[in-house]
Formats: sequence, C-alpha cells, structure tokens
Amino acid sequence: MDFEYLKSKRLLLVDDEQELLDMVVSILKEEGFNHIATAKTLKEALALADNFQPELAILDVMLPDGNGFSLMEQLKQKGEYPILFLTARGEDEDKFKGFGLGADDYVVKPFLPKELIFRIMAILRRSYKDENPLITLQDSEIDFDRAEVIKGGEHIALTAKEHDILAALYRNAGRIVTIDALCEAAWGENPFGYENSLMAHIRRIREKIELNPSRPVSLITVKGLGYKLIVGGKQYEKRT
Amino acid sequence: MKSVPKLIRRFVGILLLSSILLMILNIVLLVLFTLRQLPNAQPWKTAEEVVTALHQTEEGNYVLTDEMSLELSEADIWGIFIDNETKQVAWKTDNLPDTIPTAYTLSDIASLTRGYISDYPTFTGEAENGLVVLGYPQKSFWKHMWPSWDYQLIANLPRTFLTVLIINVIAIFIIYVTTNAKLLKSVKPITKGIQDLSVGEPVQIKESGLLSEISANINHTSDILQSQKYQLRKKETARANWIAGVSHDIRTPLSMVMGYAGQLKDDVNLTTEERQKAEVIVRQSKRIQNLINDLNLASKLEYNMQPINPTKHNLIAIVRQVVVDFINMDIEDNYTIQWETDAALIVCPVYADQGLLKRAISNLIQNSINHNGQGCKIYISVTADSGKCTVDVSDDGVGATDEQIEKFNNAPHYMVCDENTTEQRHGLGLLIVKQIISAHGGTTIIEHSSYGGFLVKLILPIQK
Repeated sequence: MDFEYLKSKRLLLVDDEQELLDMVVSILKEEGFNHIATAKTLKEALALADNFQPELAILDVMLPDGNGFSLMEQLKQKGEYPILFLTARGEDEDKFKGFGLGADDYVVKPFLPKELIFRIMAILRRSYKDENPLITLQDSEIDFDRAEVIKGGEHIALTAKEHDILAALYRNAGRIVTIDALCEAAWGENPFGYENSLMAHIRRIREKIELNPSRPVSLITVKGLGYKLIVGGKQYEKRT
Repeated sequence: MKSVPKLIRRFVGILLLSSILLMILNIVLLVLFTLRQLPNAQPWKTAEEVVTALHQTEEGNYVLTDEMSLELSEADIWGIFIDNETKQVAWKTDNLPDTIPTAYTLSDIASLTRGYISDYPTFTGEAENGLVVLGYPQKSFWKHMWPSWDYQLIANLPRTFLTVLIINVIAIFIIYVTTNAKLLKSVKPITKGIQDLSVGEPVQIKESGLLSEISANINHTSDILQSQKYQLRKKETARANWIAGVSHDIRTPLSMVMGYAGQLKDDVNLTTEERQKAEVIVRQSKRIQNLINDLNLASKLEYNMQPINPTKHNLIAIVRQVVVDFINMDIEDNYTIQWETDAALIVCPVYADQGLLKRAISNLIQNSINHNGQGCKIYISVTADSGKCTVDVSDDGVGATDEQIEKFNNAPHYMVCDENTTEQRHGLGLLIVKQIISAHGGTTIIEHSSYGGFLVKLILPIQK
C-alpha cells in the first residue's frame, strides 16, 4: 500500500464529547493511525499542540470555551499543518464555502468511518509528499516532482497539462473524477468545451503509463462521466 | 396613477354632455312657453281678419261685422281705417281713445307700422283702398323697432356657433382643472399609498389636506399590516430555528451510531449475520441523516431563509458530479446508475446555486434507491431544447400509480399543507427538489418512466 507512510502522521483530535472522541480514535486506530492526541477544550488543545506538534488537526466547531474557528487561527500561528473540521451544523457549510477560512476540508456529522478516513487521507496526501516520490501503477511509476513516468526503465517526460491531469486523478485515486473536474484542473475555471482536448491528453498519458494503451488498466474510462486512476495495481481498488 | 387622465376625461365628458342636454331642455321649455302664448299672439292675423270683416256700405261708410266688433271690444282692442286718398280716419271703433289722431302723414304711417301710437302697440292690415290699424292695450306687446341684422352675422352663424362651443369646452375644462387640482393633489398620495399597501410595502402618507382622514386610515392599516408581517416572520424564524436546533442535536449522537455501526459492518471478526445487522443500522442511520438534512433545508426554503447564490454553471457538469459522487460512495451492488446524456451535448449553461442543484439531483437518485429495496437501474440524462435544459432521473423500479403521480404533481406536501391530513406521509426529498427548482425559475414534472419505474423531469431555463 502506497500511503502507509501517511498513517504515522500525528493527529490532534478536538471535540467536547468524550464518546465521540473515543469513536473517532477507534476508527483511526482500526485504519492504522497510531499517533493520536485528543483534547476536549480549546485550552487543552493549545497546551497539547506545543508538545505534540500535530501534523493534522481535526476540530469540532463548537467547544465549551470557544469555537473551532478561533482555535484554528491560534493553531496556525504555532505551526503550518492542515485542519479538518467536524461540524454538526448545516449552516457551517456556507461559512466554509463562503469565507475560505483556511480550513482544508470539513465533514458534516453524522459521517461514516469510510468517509472520514477518505477525507483525512486526501488531506494528508495533498499536504505531505511521500519520502519515496514514486507512485506505483500497474505498468509504470509516476514521479510528480520531476514530471516524468518511468516505464520499463525508460524515463518519459510529462507535459504540464498531462502532469496536472494525472495529479488531479491521483488526488482522488480509486475514485471517478469527472471530465469537468479534470478540465478545470488543466485549464482553470469554467473550462467549457475542452472535452475533446482532454480526450487527446488522456490518450497521450495512456501511451506513457500503460503497457497496452488501447486496453488501459491504470487509467480507466467511465463512459460519459470521467476517468479513474488505479494506483498500486488492482489490489488497491479492492482494498478500499 | 394611470386612472387619473381617464377620470378627467370622463368628468369633462359628463360636463359637456350635461350642458348640451341643458341646452336642449331650455329650447324645449322655451317652445312650450311660447306655444301657450300663441292664441293671443297673432295680432297681424287679427288685423287681416278685420280687413275682411270690414265692408263699405252704399253711402260710402264702413261697417264692421258684429261678430268682429264683439271680439275686438272683448279684447279691449281699438281699430281705425285710414283712407288711401285722404289719409283721414274713415272708420273707427267706439272704444277709440281720445289721444289717437284722426289724420295721418306718410311718416306717421311708417312709424305706427313699426311701432306704437301713444304707447298702444299697433298692427296693420292692408285693405283695398286703405289701411286697417288695430291698437292693442298698452303693455300688451313689445315691438322690435329696428328688425335688421348685419348680413355677415347671419352668414357666419354656424362658424360663430362652433367657436362659441369650443370656447365653452375649454372654459369647462379650465373650471374643472382649477376646482379639482387641489382634490387631485390630495388624492394622488392616497392612490399611491393604496398601491403600495397592495404589495405589502410600508406606507406613510402626510396627513393633511382635504382627505387627511383617509390618509390617517391608510397609515394605520399599513402599520397593522407591517406588524402582522413582522409577527409572522418572527414565528417562521422561530420555527426554522427550532428545526435547525433539533437537527443539530440529533447529529452528534447519530454520528456515534453510524460510526460504530460502520465499523462493525466491516469487522472481519464478526459473523456474516452480525455484519448484516450492522449494515441495517448504518442504512437506517443514513435515512435519519437524510431526513434531518432535508427537514432543515425544506423549512429554510419554505420560509425563504435559505440564501440562494446563483452563478453561471454547466448543468451537465453539475449532474455528472452528483452521479460520480454516488458511484464513488460505493452504492450497493444491486443499484446501477446509467449515464444516458448524448455525448454531443457538452455544455448546458444555467444560472444556478450549485450546492442546491446538486442536492436536488442527489435527492432524486436517493429516492430511487430508497423506494426500490430490491435494487434497480437508475437512468440519468440531460437534454437541451428550445431554451430549456431538462434533467431526467428515472428508474426501472416499482414506480407509482397514476393517482400517486397526480398527487406528487399537484397536492401540497404535508409539511406545507395547512390542513390536518391523514394521508400517508412521504419523505421530504421531492418537496425539496420542487422548492429548489422553483427557486431557480424552473419546473418539476413527475411521470411514469419509459423504463417502467418513476421519472422526474427537472426543467430549467438556459442562460445565454
């Protein structure tokens, strides 16, 4: 499994309900996370942050001695690490969307364990590059830092657009990414009418990463909807 | 205030019509009165009659018939006959006053023909060789002494009449405007006030002038309406807040139910049966989750408390994202989603709040899943036609009866229905879809699907 290294990251969990803390901890532990610290108040969290040096903070919005947004601001002064909010209020969604408070993501309660884990992994993947920068596919490896593909010992360069498209697929590895989201990743906001260019780029990417580009196994087409990148071969898909 | 010119037109019209009617009435009255005067208003004719009733005897004397004499003396009329040759009175009645001369010159005759002798109005009748003159009692007739008009005056009479009429109309209008300007001025703010009242605007009219009492009443009415509106708004806000509070309080405990059940569902140490039980808990928790989400949104949409921030979006991209989110969420194996949109249709621009529209479409997909426990195929397509963009969400599941479909399309949902209903209650999913689509200026149509199940069509206007 490619993302195993992310599970050694230190997670700080802040919520005023002990039982909810226990549950999230049990979900995280089951998933393989081992460095977890919990706090029930804003004060406790700030005190803990100095020693624990978290690499991801998961915060509740409502705390007995303040709110999660002000806690986030104070944590950000101590160190640069991503923040994930857990919220019980639908209205908060608008806040996250509208004001760009600097949170990396948010999960509305209630949530399924799988959903929480996916969000956490996505943030960690974005924030912490692998010590080993190579992404393993069925027939090749991708090196995003150097923007190249290594297939059968041969180094093949990726163009800027191919890199952006592959990166967007990789961030959502194992999941379908819509045509529109890929166009946006490559061409920016409101990318109307780039569908044909996208298809051309996908074809070229396949030529670089697939052994048999006309029968792709890593970059899968989901007709009419989008594309899916299978990382680490078939096993990864089964794992999630 | 469109009605004011109409009001003026009407009023002037009535005024004109009534003056014309008045004129006609006057003429009729005049004719009636003069007609009554006619029997004794024919002195010229009487003079002619006297001429025929006057005979010359063989001695050369003149004699009036007894009948005529009686008639004259009864009416107190005197008469003379002036001979053409001598200009002397050749015959006279017995009642001739002393002041009447017995000899006449030509100028005397011209004068008496037009006018009077000693203030007696005189009338003449022409005989064979003389002139009969009748004298009526003093002040019984008034005679027009100079009966002549300028010829131009008579020739221009129609034009003069018309000019006078036009001047009359203008005069009437000016009189109307000046007398009513003040009234109109005080009516204007009142009509505006009533117009504002009808659309629920607060109204404050200056309470002065002719109609200050009405202004005060309108102001009072406005105050009452505003305070009722405020009370209603307060109640609605309280209700929406209450729903938001309840749904908030359910979320945290539900998180724990879902969290642990989700863990148990995937726990390889449990038996299949135990894991299936956990899965039921997860599924039912998800139902509660959907319900509280929907309840909150539905109440906000109903009371217009949900901010809608529309921007230009590609509807196809929005629908595609929702479909992909469902597939990525790993919906159970017995549900499949089929993307049926024509590959040639790439962009369908609409003006929409992306979050709400996604919610509407995912509600429809979730509905198909919820109502088809045995599994089903869900078909989704986007089409564009004549300025409208249509999203079809249909399935090959159990569907609904004609009666149910009729109800979905037309009957109010229990949540927004103001009567007590004993109807079987259905979820809020469709209500929210309808609310969202109508907030976007679109329409929601529910039909039988050609695949055998349920079909919901969302029709939105295309943004150029």
